[in-house]
Amino acid sequence: MSMPHMTPAELRQHATFTALMWAFSYPGRPQRLPAAGLAAFVAIGETLLDLETGFFTPHDDLVPALAATGGRPLPPIHAPYQFYPQLTLAELDLLVTAPLGTYAEPDRGATLVLGCGFAHGTPLHLSGPGLAQPLTITVARLPDELWRARATVAVYPLGWDLYLVDGDQVIGLPRTTRVEVG
Amino acid sequence: MAYVAARGGEAAILQSEQLHQLLNAPLSLATVRMIEASLPYLVDRVMGEGSLYAPELAALALAQTGGDLYEAVLLLRAYRSTQPRLAYAEPVTQTELLTVRRISASFKDIPGGQILGPSLDYSHRLLRLDLLDQDNQEHSASAPPAATVSSDAPAGEAPPSYDPSPLAVADWQRSEGLLAAVPEVPPTDPASLPDLTREPADFPAPRAHRLQALARADTGGVLALGYASMRGYGLAHPTVNELRLAYADVRLRHPVTGEAFSIGRVRVSQCEVVNTQATELRLGYTATLGWNEVKCIAGAMLDLEMDAPQPHPAHSEEFVLYHTEPVEASGFCIHYKLPHYVTFQSGLDALREARATAADAPTEPGDAQ
Amino acid sequence: MSLASLAHPRQDFSYGFLDAFAKRELRRRMLKAIAIPGFQVPYASRELPIARGWGTGGLQVTLSIVSPTDTLKVIDQGADDSVNAANLRRFIARMTSVATTTDTLAATVIQSRHRVPEERLREGQVLVLQVPDPEPLRQVQPDSSRAREMHADADYAQMWLTLYEQLVRFGRFMQGASYPVLVHGRYLMSPSPIPRWDTPALHQAAHLTLLSAGREKRLYAVPPYTDVRPIEFEDVFFQVENMAGRICMLTGARNKFMDELPVAEGGSQFRLSDTGYAAKLLRRARGDAATLGATYFDDEGHFYQPGVIRAE
Repeated sequence: MSMPHMTPAELRQHATFTALMWAFSYPGRPQRLPAAGLAAFVAIGETLLDLETGFFTPHDDLVPALAATGGRPLPPIHAPYQFYPQLTLAELDLLVTAPLGTYAEPDRGATLVLGCGFAHGTPLHLSGPGLAQPLTITVARLPDELWRARATVAVYPLGWDLYLVDGDQVIGLPRTTRVEVG
Repeated sequence: MAYVAARGGEAAILQSEQLHQLLNAPLSLATVRMIEASLPYLVDRVMGEGSLYAPELAALALAQTGGDLYEAVLLLRAYRSTQPRLAYAEPVTQTELLTVRRISASFKDIPGGQILGPSLDYSHRLLRLDLLDQDNQEHSASAPPAATVSSDAPAGEAPPSYDPSPLAVADWQRSEGLLAAVPEVPPTDPASLPDLTREPADFPAPRAHRLQALARADTGGVLALGYASMRGYGLAHPTVNELRLAYADVRLRHPVTGEAFSIGRVRVSQCEVVNTQATELRLGYTATLGWNEVKCIAGAMLDLEMDAPQPHPAHSEEFVLYHTEPVEASGFCIHYKLPHYVTFQSGLDALREARATAADAPTEPGDAQ
Repeated sequence: MSLASLAHPRQDFSYGFLDAFAKRELRRRMLKAIAIPGFQVPYASRELPIARGWGTGGLQVTLSIVSPTDTLKVIDQGADDSVNAANLRRFIARMTSVATTTDTLAATVIQSRHRVPEERLREGQVLVLQVPDPEPLRQVQPDSSRAREMHADADYAQMWLTLYEQLVRFGRFMQGASYPVLVHGRYLMSPSPIPRWDTPALHQAAHLTLLSAGREKRLYAVPPYTDVRPIEFEDVFFQVENMAGRICMLTGARNKFMDELPVAEGGSQFRLSDTGYAAKLLRRARGDAATLGATYFDDEGHFYQPGVIRAE
């Protein structure tokens, strides 16, 4: 029997998954994705989506690529995976309806993938699991209202799990991470 | 087809049997020999549940029933019940077993060593599809290469010493005071042992009855109840102290000289599980004729659990022993295929009358909504 | 142009044995598990060519996280050389062409049954623990659906009651391995049947721990730097196994988790349970090079994070 090897798609998805896994394990630490920009969103999409799950994105260019995974397009109130490459205030109204999970099934809380910039912007003070010490990161191009919504809409163990994407960098903010703005 | 046609009933039986034979391979001595040689674990399972050590007859039973296990066990039991009791064999003791497989999960190494023996435990369960790729003709013509067991011992080094009758793990535990000593009992006359095939079990059952019942029990039934116990409906979390596959000499005393001699060897398996959740270890045990690992492990778990003060219903002795009896359970299950239209009619009559009464009755105030 | 030239070369099995859908599903679940520490995430759990209940849960996790650049260590009861560990390692290597090692320090992924290595794991390492029963409430509530409600309500009163009853009956907690822990102050979790000796290693650890039960179809995680507290009372503390006075017959090591080996003439000998660590101690004793990592317990038996084991 020959040794099975990785196809190019498998290689890409493995690299993406590894970045996502460590991003949630060490919140606030940027991890490298095998693609940048909008392609990074597609890479995350093909790693997580197939016909057993669904997605939402308000970004028209992204819809065909994500739908190609077999994932079902769903309204934001139902979609377990949501992609916002440029989150606007108007889109935030959609985002806040995303599923939070239930006490019986907190894992049904949505995963939100958000485009932003890490070089400068609003300082976010992070603490919680995965952080040996509190850590401060800066995030641009995300409305501050997002953090207020995140803090008020859900109480742990319910909540959203966030991936922030800038270029080919991804930072994870799982629901356990406390975020203080300013 | 009306299966209770009053006339032609006998003809229907004959035709039904004929059709059954037609759909199965013709019964031949070669089939029986092949089953005996190539399916030893299936043969062992049938012998264990049939409580008759006769590989040839078990293979015949399997061939005759097309592999229907419950039918095969019934055939064997029905044959067994016709056999005279000629003599009582000497008790088989653990130290006299010729052990080929003996593993303990309690300790990494044990006196006498862990002996992996014959097992598929660590095989990768991948279908050998390449075998099917072979040309049919070639396949039937070429016998599989005979397995050659190579010795891994480097040249010049003696193979590791092998003790065919190692010290039982439980004996070491007894010497350490972890396990209660075996109570002193006068040597038992095998003829005076309680025998489940001669007297029905009464509860609480004598230990001999319980172990006999587990030895003859339905493998699937014991597994289902044992698994319930292991998975969380039991009180204990036992460890396999020792699992053994072995050959045992069946020894008789010569009627004239009184000398013990072996009349043949049988395959036996036994399992002992141990529970630590107390101040002293406690044992559960099951042994069977033939190599039946799953049944021995599950049975030993049940044996341990049935001693508990308030066992889950699925582990009460009566519940377990009644419901894992393969011939009785399968027989009763298939009896539901028999006509029941008289009893059914009687039930229907009651149901109809109750409905009529309910329809006539004035509506109760509480129901008005 | 032929059809064959366009198609992928034929493979009898996918990389990592699992197909792409299985891997994607497992990965989705793992990410949720990391986001909700200690919560049991249900998953489909495929059948594998290894008997169910023999580590298929851990195996599915390992197969969906490794790549050919990883270095894998597989242990059973602490031992790299046991037949079960050897078999799982053989299977994973055959399906992923991953490099294998017995050295905890060299491994990127460690799949283990019933042990955490003695040497401290570091950031970026993944410990995959095989789990026979993921439900810490099983002994007080065998019905899974009811236990699930208790987790939803964080209602762990019955567990405390059991602990108290043990104290009254036996004068101590009787839980051996699988000692229940509270993770991130919210979920009661079974750390898998690791000895109590290994439980504190999960608390505020640098590495990621993934736990997976194939037969029961649940996986869960302890992210790095997360609180993992064994349940105990304010005045009666959780205790690790007493290893005092046990000296490894091969290496002379002490205050590590020891295997007890019965001796036919009576009594016992002891040997380090962590065979990878023992091998390095032996190499060093022979004068060969061997890099030893810092251990969770020092040679005096003190845990590396003071105050975590309060019974000390």
